[in-house]
Amino acid sequence: MGYELIAGLMFASMMTMLLTGQRVFGAIGFVAVAAALLLYGTGGGEIAFSAAMKLMKWYPLITLPLFIYMGFILSESRLADDLYTMFHVWMGPLKGGLAFGTILLMVVISAMNGLSVAGMAIGATIALPELLRRGYDKIMVTGVIQAGSSLGILVPPSVVLVLYGMIARQPVGQLWLAGAVPGLMMAALFVAYIAVRCQLQPHLGPVLPRAERQVSLAAKLRLLRAGILPFLIFASMTGLFLLGVTSLVESSAVGAATATLAAWLRGRLTRRVMEATLRKTLGISCMFMWIIMAALCFGAVFDGLGAKRALEGFFLDRLGLGPWQVLILMQLSFVLMGTFLDDTAMLVIVAPLYVPLVKALGFDLVWYGVLYTITCQIAYMTPPFGYNLFLMRAMAPPEVSLLDIYRSIAPFVAVMLLALALVMAFPGLAMWLPGVLYGG
Amino acid sequence: MPECLKRYVRCVEAASRRVGRLAMYLIFALMAILLYSSFSKAFLLPAQWTLEMAQFTMVAYYVLGGPYSMRQGEHVRMDLLYASWSPRARAAIDCVTVLFLIFYLGVLLYGGISSTAYALEYGERSYSAWAPYMAPIKIVMCLGVVLMILQALAVMLRDIAAWRGIDL
Repeated sequence: MGYELIAGLMFASMMTMLLTGQRVFGAIGFVAVAAALLLYGTGGGEIAFSAAMKLMKWYPLITLPLFIYMGFILSESRLADDLYTMFHVWMGPLKGGLAFGTILLMVVISAMNGLSVAGMAIGATIALPELLRRGYDKIMVTGVIQAGSSLGILVPPSVVLVLYGMIARQPVGQLWLAGAVPGLMMAALFVAYIAVRCQLQPHLGPVLPRAERQVSLAAKLRLLRAGILPFLIFASMTGLFLLGVTSLVESSAVGAATATLAAWLRGRLTRRVMEATLRKTLGISCMFMWIIMAALCFGAVFDGLGAKRALEGFFLDRLGLGPWQVLILMQLSFVLMGTFLDDTAMLVIVAPLYVPLVKALGFDLVWYGVLYTITCQIAYMTPPFGYNLFLMRAMAPPEVSLLDIYRSIAPFVAVMLLALALVMAFPGLAMWLPGVLYGG
Repeated sequence: MPECLKRYVRCVEAASRRVGRLAMYLIFALMAILLYSSFSKAFLLPAQWTLEMAQFTMVAYYVLGGPYSMRQGEHVRMDLLYASWSPRARAAIDCVTVLFLIFYLGVLLYGGISSTAYALEYGERSYSAWAPYMAPIKIVMCLGVVLMILQALAVMLRDIAAWRGIDL
């Protein structure tokens, strides 16, 4: 049997196993070890554990539980409430203003967190009920929160870029900086979309009632203090890292400690908050780490089949395409696979195959990291498989149905595809900031 | 369902819970190690042991926490079809497919035991300035995987019970 056929079979059996609804790590892990045993006999039995040892040496991944912990401290202790009130009062008088406010809130939370979990939790518990109560369209609001929280993986710090950086062997500092401008641009595009929608259909995002708008300027300015805390957390974490004072992993610990301290100073660090934070952090970290462990094993077997060279040969020789065509095809295949497969597993399995190809095509790997992350954002939101979808389903109030959630994402996915196209067409969007700071 | 199986499920779940809740607090240990590391870099001689100690703590965190989070249903599934099945159908299919998961864990454990045996026999050390022995963390990993297998069996028993409509 040809290696390409075996690789194809492995992929197909992984899909089938996933469709049975068994836990993702078990489905991927089983296909990986079964293939290893069939290909290499008993010698293949060691491969699962070597993948686990390899994962241990992926030092930067220690940021994952720490970022998750930080996010849950922020959402469980409701530290973000004040921040929401600030945006609420400042943006409320505009058409669709609360939705703008929510996007801005998500940007700020993304700057303190490396995943979309925290943004989802804060959006669904604080912003969503408020917006629904004020007569905002539930489909639009659901989309706003899903799209906004997905910025968590693009705006620095970002766990996805850490994972990508390990696979592509690119400096995380540069990757993070490269994500900053596209992240803000995407947020601006979201705001523009909401603004246009609400101008055309004002009932989707009504203006705050007059009585609620009458807040004195002094009170309004006082509310701005809510921004101090996020700024301090951002400065202590990403700031210290980019200045080179702390290493990447250390800075995530500093951030986690700062967030804990902030919650404690505000008297919000109750037993209940601590218990919920620790339990959810453990649950989500374990989910991700066991999936990555299984995916690494799968990737090792896949790699042994010479999938890298086969893929290069397929795209470059057999199809005879130009670099840009290959790149676009790769992005399309990512989006397609990402909707069906687990996004983290996909990164661990597919990125090692694609990265050398991107390099061979002569593209910049930092820039490609940003493209990759935007694709991941899309994958996080698109059914049937997406973490944001799962989280939204778990956290949304009962009046938001599954169909609402599915329908809500369509326009935002379109905006993300636009952002993806812009970053592809104008690499400067991503490369400018790291170039300025690192003189690249 | 025989009493001994019920007792098995109870015992294993109690063990997963206790171990998992212990692992849950390792995140503070992780934070402390890393904070000390940045402190020592800034004010003292940079500590040599912090990097690997953080790695070991991290591995213990998610390997030992795995069984508890499995019991809590935190490991995601792809639910394209799964969501549309009845709870009973889900239980029936799960108790078959969980065997695949157990197979993976079994292979993981096989590799773990052979690697641990090697580490113990030759006193394997890490290639670093600190050069810690590798056996302890490997033993911790193996124990975690063993507990994960026991927990997966308990989950399977629960699925069988749910499928047959028995309250466990």
